[in-house]
Amino acid sequence: MRYPVLLGSLLLMPAALGAQTIQNATLRRAQAAYDNLDYRQALALARTAQRERLNGFDRARDYELLALTYSAMDSILKAVDAFKEVISLEPERELDPTRTSPKVLSAFQVALTQVLVVRQLRVDSTDFVGGQGAVAIRYTVTQPARVVTRILGGQAPLKIDSAVATGQVNLRWQARLANGDPVPPGNYTVVVEATVGQNSFSASQPIRVTHGAVDTLPHLVSLPGYDYLPESEIPPKSWKPMGLALVYSGIAIAGTSALSQGDLGSASFREAGVIGGGLMVAGFVVMLRKPAPQPARGNILYNRLLREQLTRRNAEIAQDNVRRRQQVALRVVPLSRTGGGR
Amino acid sequence: MKAVLALVACLPTVLAAQHGSAGVQVAFGDYREVSSDLHYRGSGGGVAGSFTFRKLGIEASVAGITYDPVKGSSATVSFKATQLDVRVRYEISGPVSAEVGFVNRKIKPEFEAQSMGAVRAGVRLSYPLGPGVQMGLRGGMLFGSKFSGGGTVSGVGALELGLNMAVDALRGRLRLTGDYDFQRIARTTNGGGGDVAVPIQQALGRLGLAVAF
Repeated sequence: MRYPVLLGSLLLMPAALGAQTIQNATLRRAQAAYDNLDYRQALALARTAQRERLNGFDRARDYELLALTYSAMDSILKAVDAFKEVISLEPERELDPTRTSPKVLSAFQVALTQVLVVRQLRVDSTDFVGGQGAVAIRYTVTQPARVVTRILGGQAPLKIDSAVATGQVNLRWQARLANGDPVPPGNYTVVVEATVGQNSFSASQPIRVTHGAVDTLPHLVSLPGYDYLPESEIPPKSWKPMGLALVYSGIAIAGTSALSQGDLGSASFREAGVIGGGLMVAGFVVMLRKPAPQPARGNILYNRLLREQLTRRNAEIAQDNVRRRQQVALRVVPLSRTGGGR
Repeated sequence: MKAVLALVACLPTVLAAQHGSAGVQVAFGDYREVSSDLHYRGSGGGVAGSFTFRKLGIEASVAGITYDPVKGSSATVSFKATQLDVRVRYEISGPVSAEVGFVNRKIKPEFEAQSMGAVRAGVRLSYPLGPGVQMGLRGGMLFGSKFSGGGTVSGVGALELGLNMAVDALRGRLRLTGDYDFQRIARTTNGGGGDVAVPIQQALGRLGLAVAF
């Protein structure tokens, strides 16, 4: 039964100490005793260390060592109490579930529910146009509490949210002042304050807000997927000119013959023949020539529609660009935290 | 002042809507009168002009032709015919135009043939054969015919038929024209012994070159 606890604690400690090392000698001895599975010695030394002057990190490690030792000794209530101290000192403290025994984890989880802290306060880095987007803010409250979220750093604190919450909370802040204007550029702090009776806890996350110009849209010269069509087309070659010249000449000659006065002898076809012959030559030449381009009515109407659509779309874009020039692009970036919450 | 400005403003539109041409013609014809014995053929020259404004068109031509008796004809004396043709055309619908005008033919020496004058009315069918090539077929009647030797024509006795073509050259600045006119006039005279048929028939061909503007 002790093996998993031991294994978990052995794996946990280096991770916890990765950034900082224990300064206090007694605590180091207590740690060594715990590592040697001498829990009574570890317990005694850890308690002794508590009476000594410890820095914040060493104090948290001392309580954590106590919690682990109590867990190993099956004193769960004491382990929970020790973890509560750890959480109070380091609200963001997390145990690696893959490297920690379930017994320790459950003690830690129980401790979490008994201490009021705001943990894992996160502000997403984001870009958006003022008034059209929001910054995502997340945090976790360990106990049901009245949680007030504020933005500090401007001329007056901005209250974003006030609600009774527990567990993970997701908020969206539009980065606007009370009058609706975007917040001025600068450094701000997101402060989340949780209160239950006399207990309260606050966590903060600094952020930087910068302003930029909103990109305008370029005017369109064509609609994607729609191309202009040729407004004229060359009709296929046809016998029609020659045929019509033949018909007209034939009618003239036949008409001459029909109208001729019988008393005056047979009609003269010389004149009609010359002109009709000339007409047929002209018709023949026209028939052989490449036909002249004819207006393609359907394409003309299509192009007109396309131009109208383009004009309408560009008018909309121009209108949109006027609006965009009056807008502000906001960039919100979370800054590194200097300390934990209290 | 406003009227002048309005006129100046719409002048380009007005000018674009009008076309004109003027040119010379070579004419050749066949003339018969009374019977097949009086048969003449001749040639000559002439001038012609036209003006079009939107649906309205005016054509005028003068041709002088010297007619000589054909071989075997009983006629012995040549004569010169000077013919004036005026036609005013209005486009009714599509290729169909209504046409009115008059014809006047003077003969010298007088009485070798019949001088005449008449009012004409008819219809013309125009069709573009291709770019710059136009052809037309016309038919009509001559009314109120007057002859130097007297005589009358019944209501439907004077008919005419025509065929014309125009080919643009040099980007439309020059125009080759061909024009055929056939007239058949059923003239009758009454010298006291009853009506005598003295018909007149002329076939006239004209080839021309015109400058368009």
